[in-house]
Amino acid sequence: MSQPLTQILASTAFALAAALLAYRQRLNLSRSLLIAAARAAVQLALVGALIALVFRVPALAIAFVAVMVATASLTAGSRIRALPGARRIAIAAIALPALAAVGVLLAVGAFAATPRATIPTAGILIGGAMLSTTLTGRRLVEGLADGIDEIEARLALGDRARDALAPLCRRAIAGALVPLIDQTRSAGLVTLPGTFVGLVLGGASPATAARVQLTVLLTLLLVQLLSALLTAELVTRAATLPGERVLVTSHEGRRLR
Amino acid sequence: MSEDDRADRIEGLAIRGLRLARGERAVLRDVSFDAPKGTVTALVGPSGIGKSTLLRCLNRLLVPDAGTVLLDGEDTAALDPCALRRRAGLVGQTPTMLPGSVRENLAYGLDPAVAADEPRLTRALADAGLDAGFLDRPASELSGGERARVALARALTREPELLLLDEPTAALDALTARHIGGTLTALAGAGLGVVLATHDLAFAAEIADRVVALRDGVVTVGSPAELLPDRFPPGDDRPTASGASPEARA
Repeated sequence: MSQPLTQILASTAFALAAALLAYRQRLNLSRSLLIAAARAAVQLALVGALIALVFRVPALAIAFVAVMVATASLTAGSRIRALPGARRIAIAAIALPALAAVGVLLAVGAFAATPRATIPTAGILIGGAMLSTTLTGRRLVEGLADGIDEIEARLALGDRARDALAPLCRRAIAGALVPLIDQTRSAGLVTLPGTFVGLVLGGASPATAARVQLTVLLTLLLVQLLSALLTAELVTRAATLPGERVLVTSHEGRRLR
Repeated sequence: MSEDDRADRIEGLAIRGLRLARGERAVLRDVSFDAPKGTVTALVGPSGIGKSTLLRCLNRLLVPDAGTVLLDGEDTAALDPCALRRRAGLVGQTPTMLPGSVRENLAYGLDPAVAADEPRLTRALADAGLDAGFLDRPASELSGGERARVALARALTREPELLLLDEPTAALDALTARHIGGTLTALAGAGLGVVLATHDLAFAAEIADRVVALRDGVVTVGSPAELLPDRFPPGDDRPTASGASPEARA
């Protein structure tokens, strides 16, 4: 059996095993797992074909990155849709830090300004910004629904709305960065990050793979922190009502008072 | 003298024509009453009738759809909301502790010189029925009743002009409730305005100078003896506060 076919069969078997296990454990996750696996297969197949085209027509790289930003913003925006202007918040919090970082890396020559280098780099940074936006945003939405008593206690003691929301924002940002910090400090010891694995499998030397991976990981530290800070700032603005009051919503976005 | 002229001259709160709807439901419909400084005003009514909503309109945590709330004759809508809330301390129904010790809770947001004023902190604690030994206890480890008292002490530390209390006795035993009642009466005697929302009619009858009964979005205002006659035995010679109150609305 050829290696490509073996890869497809082995990975499909693992996905099916995950769905079966979830079904047996009555986790109500089987359908989601299968849909996620199928989506990943279709998306990656399409992306593979598309990237091949982009490599031949470099101008398409810009459109490709725009689609990545739009998709990431839709995904993160849907997670914080309880807030007014959720999609705009997500677009700003993802696009600004990620694209600025890509621009800096290309401008200083850390990566060649080619589709082959730009698209994977942008993809990783946009993905990291999306994760950070989603985690920060979700914690803020939950905090606005569950922690409103604490926020209102601070308002009642004379805090401005921004000050009353600040502790919630700090907790949300700190919590959102935990996965990245753990991933960064365990890189190479617990996990071999995706960029490293991809480069090594693609034939690069381990030293080159490690250098590129480190560049991406360390860039992500700032990108994700900026995304979290931007999300918190924009959510604070969205949740602040005139007269130093705070929007009180349910988790689903229903305005409660 | 017109109603508006009279409202302008009241030292304390004068509420006029307050309306507030939640979706289709009118929670407050033309609510008017006075809560002067130096008195205890009890908002009474069944659970869910809108007492907390009304209380939160008084310090503008909620903005009414119509009507005015005057504080010492000034429209509260024209005041800085944060300054208003420092003048009119609200203690919510759920006594929420902020992270840190009781001392940090009492000192929250205060000027550092005031926060370091130990006698002021212990006096507020004592008024709320707690001794100075509580100052350095972690607030998160307190019982429900202790939290309620620390929340009251936290409001008192700010030396407000008005105290707005939402169900202040809900988490307290009878003895502590009596102590708090005594404190509130004494504070009102010293010039503080106290407005409390409660469904504890016995507590309201015991300490209130005037009662504002909320039902179907409108209020009836009167003395405890007028509006809570069941709480007064025949022949009770406790003076009635105002007779038929001019702002009474049926």
